[in-house]
Amino acid sequence: MSKRILVVEDQEDNRRILRDLLTSANFEVIEAADGETGLAAAAAHRPDPILMDIQLPGLDGYEATRRDAVLRAIPIIAVTSYGLAGDADKAHAAGCDDYISKPYSPDSCWRKFREYLCPADEVIGMRR
Amino acid sequence: MEPARGSLVGRTALEKTIVHITDTQADPEFTFERPANMLPSRTMLGVPLLREGTLIGVMSLGHPVVKPLDSKQIELAATFADQAVIAIENVRLFNEVQARTRELSQSVEELRALGDVTQAVNSTLDLETVLSTIVAKAVQLSGTEAGTIYTFDETTQKFELRSTYGMDDALIAAIRKRHIRIGGDPGIGQAAAKRAPMQIPDLRNEPSELLEDVVRAGFRALLIVPLLGPNQIVGALVVRRKKPGEFPKSTIDLLETFADQSVLAIQNARLFREIEEKGRELAEASKHKSQFLANMSHELRTPLNAILGYTELILDSIYGEMPEKARAVLERLQANGKHLLGLINDVLDLSKIEAGQLTLSLDDYSLSDVVHGVVSAVEPLAAEKRLVFKAEVEPNLPSGHGDGRRLSQVLLNLVGNAIKFTDTGEVAIRASATNGAFTVAVCDTGPGISASDQAKIFEEFQQADSSITREKGGTGLGLSIAKRIIEMHGGRIWVESEPGKGSTFYFTVPVRAEAQAGQS
Repeated sequence: MSKRILVVEDQEDNRRILRDLLTSANFEVIEAADGETGLAAAAAHRPDPILMDIQLPGLDGYEATRRDAVLRAIPIIAVTSYGLAGDADKAHAAGCDDYISKPYSPDSCWRKFREYLCPADEVIGMRR
Repeated sequence: MEPARGSLVGRTALEKTIVHITDTQADPEFTFERPANMLPSRTMLGVPLLREGTLIGVMSLGHPVVKPLDSKQIELAATFADQAVIAIENVRLFNEVQARTRELSQSVEELRALGDVTQAVNSTLDLETVLSTIVAKAVQLSGTEAGTIYTFDETTQKFELRSTYGMDDALIAAIRKRHIRIGGDPGIGQAAAKRAPMQIPDLRNEPSELLEDVVRAGFRALLIVPLLGPNQIVGALVVRRKKPGEFPKSTIDLLETFADQSVLAIQNARLFREIEEKGRELAEASKHKSQFLANMSHELRTPLNAILGYTELILDSIYGEMPEKARAVLERLQANGKHLLGLINDVLDLSKIEAGQLTLSLDDYSLSDVVHGVVSAVEPLAAEKRLVFKAEVEPNLPSGHGDGRRLSQVLLNLVGNAIKFTDTGEVAIRASATNGAFTVAVCDTGPGISASDQAKIFEEFQQADSSITREKGGTGLGLSIAKRIIEMHGGRIWVESEPGKGSTFYFTVPVRAEAQAGQS
């Protein structure tokens, strides 16, 4: 069984790094470059979890998260800018379950994902 | 009345002795023609009123029939005259005392007014308040009814009305419309051109179109004192009186003092305004600089993230197996990229601190975890340099409250420096708690730091020696960031060192830290 992860991220390289990392571990990755598309993708594919960039063009990550009851039921990990004052609090206030602060290394992301992807032991085994 | 021997009073005054005329009709010298309303006297006695030998009056007694006075009567009259002298003297002294009292109270009033003015100049930078105090006191003490202070505008070369006293709106409006220039009107213009006080005792003798509003308002005399700066005209103080006449020198002197105080006030206000403006400009420039640095480092970090991210994925063999040679190069690439990221983060941190955007996120943390996290991060570096590396954490440390992530950053910086600068020997971390505060020490057996450099190393962009930057790397920002973070926790950071004997960096933070002032 492969899990489905939605990556909402406007920066193409960041999106690709996450995609390459996750697909290499046999996850299904759905991508969206902005909040509106992300909302639509979440509604259509019911991913678990969602990785959401906070600074997005147009509708930002908070707005997208707050707006939708379906989204609120899915674990959301916010990807926040490095050390910006109160970003973590803002992410929590917006209903995000956790956050990763940029810059992140794929390894540190991986550790965080595992908390949400467990208990699928096979998944952990796939990495390295 | 000139004293002459023809009258009793005249003769007494001339002789300054008692004059007894037994019969005026029998006295050949007596020529006094009595006024019609005066009773005729035949026998007369004149007694001089003398104060210390100086004649101050004459007492005269007369009798309508010839009736010479005996010596007792004359003596009695002399006694009365003495009493009269004393009475007159008393009145004179009394008047003199009164006059002196008036003069003194005038001086006291002037002094008090000067005191008020000086206080106003020193206690408020609000120019309007100072100038209105000055103009009011100037009018009150110069015996005038109205006054104005003008300031001279260098750009328009005109005198602008700044403060008035005792003037109705019509006169103020009329004066505002006038263009008063140096050398222009016969009042302010002339006084300013001569750089000296000037008075017009009677405006009716000085017909001038420019002054006709003042005349129409009922004023007759003007006193103008220019306000003189060191090199330029600053303005003018004018008082106006409804009664014509010269102004005494004492009034002119007084107003000159007031003028000096006005100059001081105007210059103070001007300087204050300039300083305020400069301060605002500086703050603005500094904000822009911090904002620029924040933006720039953010922009630099985005592509660097991608470089580091892909590198890591390649090293993780996500894109297939790498030949060993290429892997070694990729590891160098990764190490350098991380170093660059560290530098960019330092710049971002500092610019955030300066812009007041860096805030602590306070939470419970374990100091022991902080220390061990740092140890595991830098252990490989110490091992690479073959240094002894130890951490001594007091057992059972209380749980801390503060920004654990930022404290890790500080400790990482101190330990990183210690390893960087120490070539042989050891680096040790010691953590303890006393009196509600954690103390963390980082000791090394490195080259040590001279006393003069110890003072500088916590400042921005300062390393003990600029050649170190080239040799050892680093931005010179780490310690200044560490200092700010520790201070934001309400703690202190310092160094104890001697060249050749290693260094120990210490910091203390309250076990339970609260957000410090200056944090948003």
